[in-house]
Amino acid sequence: MSDALIEARQVCVTFGSGSRAVRAVRDVSLHINAGEAIGIVGESGSGKSTLARVLAGLQRPDQGEVLFGDESIYQRGRAYRGDKRRLVQMVFQDPYGSLNPRITALSTVAEAVKFHGEHSRSESHRLSLELLGQMGISERDAAKKPRQLSGGQRQRVSVARALSAHPEILIADEPTSAIDQSAQAQLLNLFQGLLGDGLSIALVSHDLGVIRYLTNRVYVMKDGAFVESGLTQEVFENPQHAYTKQLIASIPGRHLQGAGA
Amino acid sequence: MSTATVTESPSEVLVEIRDLVIGIQRTRADRLILVDSADFDIRRGEILGLVGESGSGKTMVCRSLIGTLKRRSATIFGGTIMFDGMDLAKIDERRWRSVRGNRIGYVPQSALTGPNPVMTIGGQLVEAVRCNRNRTERDARKRAMELLDLVHIRRPEVVYDQYPFQLSGGMRQRVMIAAALAQDPDIILADEPTTGLDVTVQAEIMKLLREIRTEFNMSVVLVSHDLALIDDVCDRLVVMHGGTCVEVGSVKEVAQNPKHPYTIALNRARIELATPGTQLITIRGNPPGVGEWPSGCRFSERCEFVQDDCRVGASPPLLEVESNHWSACIHAGELGAASE
Repeated sequence: MSDALIEARQVCVTFGSGSRAVRAVRDVSLHINAGEAIGIVGESGSGKSTLARVLAGLQRPDQGEVLFGDESIYQRGRAYRGDKRRLVQMVFQDPYGSLNPRITALSTVAEAVKFHGEHSRSESHRLSLELLGQMGISERDAAKKPRQLSGGQRQRVSVARALSAHPEILIADEPTSAIDQSAQAQLLNLFQGLLGDGLSIALVSHDLGVIRYLTNRVYVMKDGAFVESGLTQEVFENPQHAYTKQLIASIPGRHLQGAGA
Repeated sequence: MSTATVTESPSEVLVEIRDLVIGIQRTRADRLILVDSADFDIRRGEILGLVGESGSGKTMVCRSLIGTLKRRSATIFGGTIMFDGMDLAKIDERRWRSVRGNRIGYVPQSALTGPNPVMTIGGQLVEAVRCNRNRTERDARKRAMELLDLVHIRRPEVVYDQYPFQLSGGMRQRVMIAAALAQDPDIILADEPTTGLDVTVQAEIMKLLREIRTEFNMSVVLVSHDLALIDDVCDRLVVMHGGTCVEVGSVKEVAQNPKHPYTIALNRARIELATPGTQLITIRGNPPGVGEWPSGCRFSERCEFVQDDCRVGASPPLLEVESNHWSACIHAGELGAASE
């Protein structure tokens, strides 16, 4: 496991205390290797988003540690200090809520570009436009504010913002759940391309279709703990745990898979 | 072909939507058209899927069926919605009261914000039960319990006194379905009823909708952008694009033998059929924005089979290309060979 880029060891997160304490994540360990995509699936309330936030350095675990390189990211003070902050980026679930409604797509990305790379104003604008262009956002759309963009476009702006830091790992929390089918395909193609360029992706989703398509390893989460993990293909073809079986049986359109592929 | 129509003998048509035009009157001369010539039937006891991307007009069509367009400041400009001898496109608010909820039930999109947060589940159901019929309080309570039982809520007597925040998303959506069933409607409209719910919960809700259909011979209209879901649950489907219906037919027929390039493209973009690691096939461009519809076929700019005559004139109407299968593509006849 020496080639693991990021590794979580026996992470526990508890919200609240006493009798009302909720153990959101219980003793979870996972690792992400360079250039691979892993999936975390589970139902709402299973703790998958909390786990994503732990990996992104946004939620300090009560127990356990997260190693990035060989160093624990949660030491004193802020998580991911110095340059490491840049290397792990997150794309949030809600494309409506995670963009500032008052500034344009271009400014949103330019702000991040400027923050991470000490560029001049014109330089950061140029870089941002380039980045947005790669995400399929035209110069005309870049001048729009979030409310004028479609859900898929907004999500691509979020991805552009995350990529502006040139991260090594992208943590995406349900990036496709709020967008249309065709926009979803565009976003997934984008992720596929990024994987090809050597980025690692941790994809949190309850959409098993997306997980099956994009990831090579998957962790199945229930009530804060992993119930099954393994190569995505194997888990989908031969699920072991009862919960995983139930999940896979619930995928709509599954009966078509044999005929269509 | 003709024998097929006889044996199939389509069940009774409950709602007949013809040339429905919905839009917003912005100024006296300026109309923004949102839905243009929607054209389909809802038959008794069927589950009808309404698919399309955001902005395709599916929610607007849905709202016209429960008379709540005004709340979105939209108006019906033309066309008819015939239901039981009434034209729903023309009736006034007073007559709507006997239809909405009573004859046509509605399950809203968001299970999480749908129920009133400051009323108990029982209180809301009793309200739904008593709104149109004279029932005693006791009788209404009995009916509310029955409804909770009907949507498979365990321990209804406990849930009755609970507030929405104490229930999970799936349970809240069951309560919303129970409320929609309160008056024994002929039709239930479910507008993306499982958005934001887990796949396992989604599967249960769909099972429930199917049960309701079978048990009461009710019609269910399921609005969704998830083609896989529609395929699983529905009998027939209506595909919408750019504010108009582009294909109508049985789910089986449309899946195996799509007659509109948009449906073909949607089918190809389906992720559950894709091989992991390969490029997904996407549909070119974005759905045309409201008010930015191109002339001719509104899919022409994104269509891979587009020909010169697709880009002229008005948006093509639905034509019956095979029995009980309609397409709005003027080249529908040539598609079979091209899509192979």
